[in-house]
Amino acid sequence: MVGLIYALAVALLGFQGVDPSTGAAHFAPVWLDPGLLATVVFSVGLVVGGGSAYKTAQLRGGGHVVAEHLGGRLLNGDSRDPAERRLLNVVEEMAVASGTPTPPVYLLEDEEAINAFAAGQGPGDAVIGITRGALEQLPRDELQGVIAHEFSHILNGDMRLNIRLMGVLHGILIIGLLGYFLLRSSLYSGAVRGRGGRDQSVLIWIGFGLGLSLVGFLGTFFGNWIKASVSRQREFLADASAVQFTRNPEGIAGALARIGGFGPASLLETPNAPEASHLFFGSALRHPIFATHPPLEERIRRLDPQLAAGLGAAPAREPSGVAATAAPLAGFAAGGAGPAASVGRPTPEHVDYAARLLASIPADLREAAHEPYSARALLHGLLLSGDAAVRKRQLADLAQHAEAGVAEATAALASSLETLDRAAFLPLVDLLLPALRRLSPDQYRVFVENVDRSIRADDRIDLFEWTLQRVLRTHLRPHFEAMPRSRKRVSRLESVRGACEVLLSTLASADHDEAAARRGFEAASAHLGIAGLEQLPADRCGLAPLDTALDELAAVVPKLKRRLVDAAALCIAADGVIEIAEAELLRATADSLGCPMPPLLLGRRGAVR
Amino acid sequence: MEMGGMALLVVGGLVVLLFAIGVGIYNRLVAFRNRYKNGFSQIEVQLKRRHDLIPNLVETAKGYMAHERETLDAVIQARNQASAGLARASSDPGDAAAMQGLGGAEGALSGAVGKLFALAEAYPDLKANTNMMQLSEELTSTENKVAFARQAFNDAVMGYNTARQSFPAVLFAAAFGHPSDASLLEFDSAAIEKAPEVSFQGA
Repeated sequence: MVGLIYALAVALLGFQGVDPSTGAAHFAPVWLDPGLLATVVFSVGLVVGGGSAYKTAQLRGGGHVVAEHLGGRLLNGDSRDPAERRLLNVVEEMAVASGTPTPPVYLLEDEEAINAFAAGQGPGDAVIGITRGALEQLPRDELQGVIAHEFSHILNGDMRLNIRLMGVLHGILIIGLLGYFLLRSSLYSGAVRGRGGRDQSVLIWIGFGLGLSLVGFLGTFFGNWIKASVSRQREFLADASAVQFTRNPEGIAGALARIGGFGPASLLETPNAPEASHLFFGSALRHPIFATHPPLEERIRRLDPQLAAGLGAAPAREPSGVAATAAPLAGFAAGGAGPAASVGRPTPEHVDYAARLLASIPADLREAAHEPYSARALLHGLLLSGDAAVRKRQLADLAQHAEAGVAEATAALASSLETLDRAAFLPLVDLLLPALRRLSPDQYRVFVENVDRSIRADDRIDLFEWTLQRVLRTHLRPHFEAMPRSRKRVSRLESVRGACEVLLSTLASADHDEAAARRGFEAASAHLGIAGLEQLPADRCGLAPLDTALDELAAVVPKLKRRLVDAAALCIAADGVIEIAEAELLRATADSLGCPMPPLLLGRRGAVR
Repeated sequence: MEMGGMALLVVGGLVVLLFAIGVGIYNRLVAFRNRYKNGFSQIEVQLKRRHDLIPNLVETAKGYMAHERETLDAVIQARNQASAGLARASSDPGDAAAMQGLGGAEGALSGAVGKLFALAEAYPDLKANTNMMQLSEELTSTENKVAFARQAFNDAVMGYNTARQSFPAVLFAAAFGHPSDASLLEFDSAAIEKAPEVSFQGA
């Protein structure tokens, strides 16, 4: 691209004008001009870089920016519309199964086509968008397949890649737009000055504009081509992952067949679709060269050869809304790999477990989780201490500092919370996060102060309180406050040795048995492969140092993070027992490292090695 | 030619800059508008809930206070008006007339319901009715939620208005389809304060 523009500049600057007497063009190009080359490199870099940076910064606002750009309407968590309710339930199950906060769901109201997308930088700010057509026409198992597909994009980090691609393409697009703009305005000014008045500078401008448009066009062309081919591979992966999550190939294949049966049923109306085409479940655009998605037949064939064979002859299944009776394959336990292997890969057992867990949550609590006002009360309720005196102090604080009625609502929910399975506490937090994100900035400030006050009410921080704080910090705070983003990447664990020591020592000390703690620490440090790690005494590790250590470890490259998560699990499991609080500590640790972990299937042999 | 090249660069840079600023302003305004529209949908859910509860409340009260027919009718009427006001407002949240209409109607509804509760004080059987207790509890909690959602909506409206009025944006706002400020939603409190006015005849 730089070369093209350089050639263009050389040619134009060499063009000295037309000799009026002979009519011949003076053309004396200087082919190698270091100054000019530098200028061109610099300015192309500036425009492309600036354009990309701008778009990336805009997209960094999170997935909701993309969703709103496409005309999505945020669905209310407490919606009573049956179709919306069903969709939200499917999303919640999938979120609990994969251990991520429930992503907000946007509905593309005016789109009759069947399509869906996921957008955002990571699980913390991901959103899922779905068209009205998909909401209304897909039966539940197909909807689940589509949502599982989108979750796979979230968990595989495809969205970050997509957003980066969108940013870079935007930069290239700007060059083309700039050229077009120059061309138009110089043609216009040339016309205004009249036929005789077209001087050389106007000609140069026209040539420059034309050249830039051409370069921009070529850049966008190849950019889109690259985007499309990257995206096609990612789609196969997401289809496969969706089957892995639900173990029901017919769900997603059925949804694809339905799109096929409706003709171009995934095409969108919104003018903003081209920019985000690669985010979608099915092709959002018509052009085959730029297809961001593999052909439907191919995708279906890979999922369900029988269905694909039938598709050519018979018309697609009628949209009766009757769920296909998929015979669920016999579930087998996940292989012998460590817990890190389960990061980002919930299995059908996790999905079943999530569905059961959600069903066990009393209706009033689930309802409370869906609405900002009561979601706060629910969170305060989870923090209420078992000690009557502390609890009284916490409620008095709420009555004094929170909005009217919050203390009463908290007390009212507390009795339901007492009947709740302890294992459902953290999933409940995953459920209520989207409601909390709807607070206004002022309301958020008050809320966070109250949470801090409640945690400090007994002058100590227990494991659950720490975990909860960690979840809020990872998934809620970035919505309201600009978080410092470190660009540093750590590729050797030796360089974060201190943080590793704090992590392992703290997790090991969660075991009550000192010998087991020692054993766990040894096993974990051997797994990390750093020689001479020292187990820290109790006064130098603990939850407060762990906070800082995790922030430091978050910069570690993904490959090493897996090792960290496995090592952390070894520490915790050393005494052969994993308590719920320990499991939650492990999940919060993995989550802080950007590795969302499905819930540990406690009480099942083989769930944790 | 050096000069020409420089000029080209400068002008090109300026064009890019202006373009970027324009797009930025446009997107910012759209984002802020979406935020308060989403905020309104939260109020809408709670107000609908409130409007659904009130006929039940009147139905329950009817059995005990048949003599207060006027008050009961007034509640239903106020509820229907508020419901119509809500439908109008939800098609265009932030519109000044719609917001004022809804605020007034909701204020009147609160006044009418308040009056009903004040009268209910004189009927111990009604007060002891479990259904009535449940309904009044749920109404109170819904009202708290409405107040909270309204606070969030108003915060979002203020954010939008500030974004619209701040310097470079104010020049383009109208051209980009943001001709006027969004309007806050204030419930007409005069009607509420008037509510518990109970007349004592010939006391």
